[in-house]
Amino acid sequence: MIAGVLALLSLAALTALVTGWTRPGSVRPATRFVVEQGSALALRLPVALVAAGFLGLLVPQALVAGSLGAETGLRGILLASLVGCFLPGGPTVTFPLALVFWTAGAGAPQMVALLTAWSVFAFHRLMAFELPIMGWRFTAIRLLASVALPALAGVLAGAAITLTGVSIAR
Amino acid sequence: MTEKNAARDASGGRKPRVDRITLVFVAIAVAAGIAVWLRDGPDVVLETMGSSLALLAYLAPQVLAGLVIGGFVQQLVPREKVARRLGGESGMRGLALACGLGLVTPGGPFTSFPLVYALYVAGADIGALVAYVTAWSLVGVHRVLVFELPFLGPDLAALRFLASLPLPILAGLIARGIGRHPAIALPRTPS
Repeated sequence: MIAGVLALLSLAALTALVTGWTRPGSVRPATRFVVEQGSALALRLPVALVAAGFLGLLVPQALVAGSLGAETGLRGILLASLVGCFLPGGPTVTFPLALVFWTAGAGAPQMVALLTAWSVFAFHRLMAFELPIMGWRFTAIRLLASVALPALAGVLAGAAITLTGVSIAR
Repeated sequence: MTEKNAARDASGGRKPRVDRITLVFVAIAVAAGIAVWLRDGPDVVLETMGSSLALLAYLAPQVLAGLVIGGFVQQLVPREKVARRLGGESGMRGLALACGLGLVTPGGPFTSFPLVYALYVAGADIGALVAYVTAWSLVGVHRVLVFELPFLGPDLAALRFLASLPLPILAGLIARGIGRHPAIALPRTPS
């Protein structure tokens, strides 16, 4: 994890150095972008992270995997889409949780819907990054445009399994 | 140009930093904090705040790195080029290009959203922006390789990847349709 952070910081430094070297005129506007955006986030980000931390605790995490089994069909896909919206945290939290559902017997199309819903709606990410950085208009348009995607992905996955007859190994 | 800057200075270049969104977050944090306090007691509240601040210490350098990359890349990429390639007139090619970019963007939201903002400033339209975010979050190669394959195995990872592949373009098309509505349309110049 620390190596990833260091790599990212190095990449940022490299980008700044190369850009500054090849186009000296770009340093001032780029710096202004960083300072303006950074100071706007300096207060929002800590507040948003604390809010997201509390909300993550309040969302019930234990859900019966049986109601998400392969035989639950479209109902299970819709329920999984809903559950996915409220899975708290980033991939380090979500994938361990998803593994619990998967090994407990959730169906493959339902898992696809759940992971798609988490990917698209991830409440924590929305609160901590998207709203503060992009504003409510962008967020609202993106949510409206994405609202049907989890169920659609689940149905597509179910159709792919039925049509090709492949079995998905657990 | 100078006239615009002068106008901005006159209207108060130093905007108050505590804006509406921040206040909403403060309200949510306080309400949720009280609910957790009542249910689990003060120890859990302190513990959660501690881990949130630890997360902040881990994320802040990455947000800064994302902003620096976004800020400089924005200077490297000519605005007209982005507007032409990803702008409102870019059609399906623009959406496909945005998907391709999202697919290969590594890292978490702390890197990608500053980049989305940079693309927006550079002239990308709502359809391309939504296609980019959706592709990055749904079929981002980085996350599939780092988390999905090891946790859930190749079968489920491949099934989800294939079922999700057409969706970013679909979301981009829908966003273009919704984004035309004046009640919700993004301002062309970010405030």
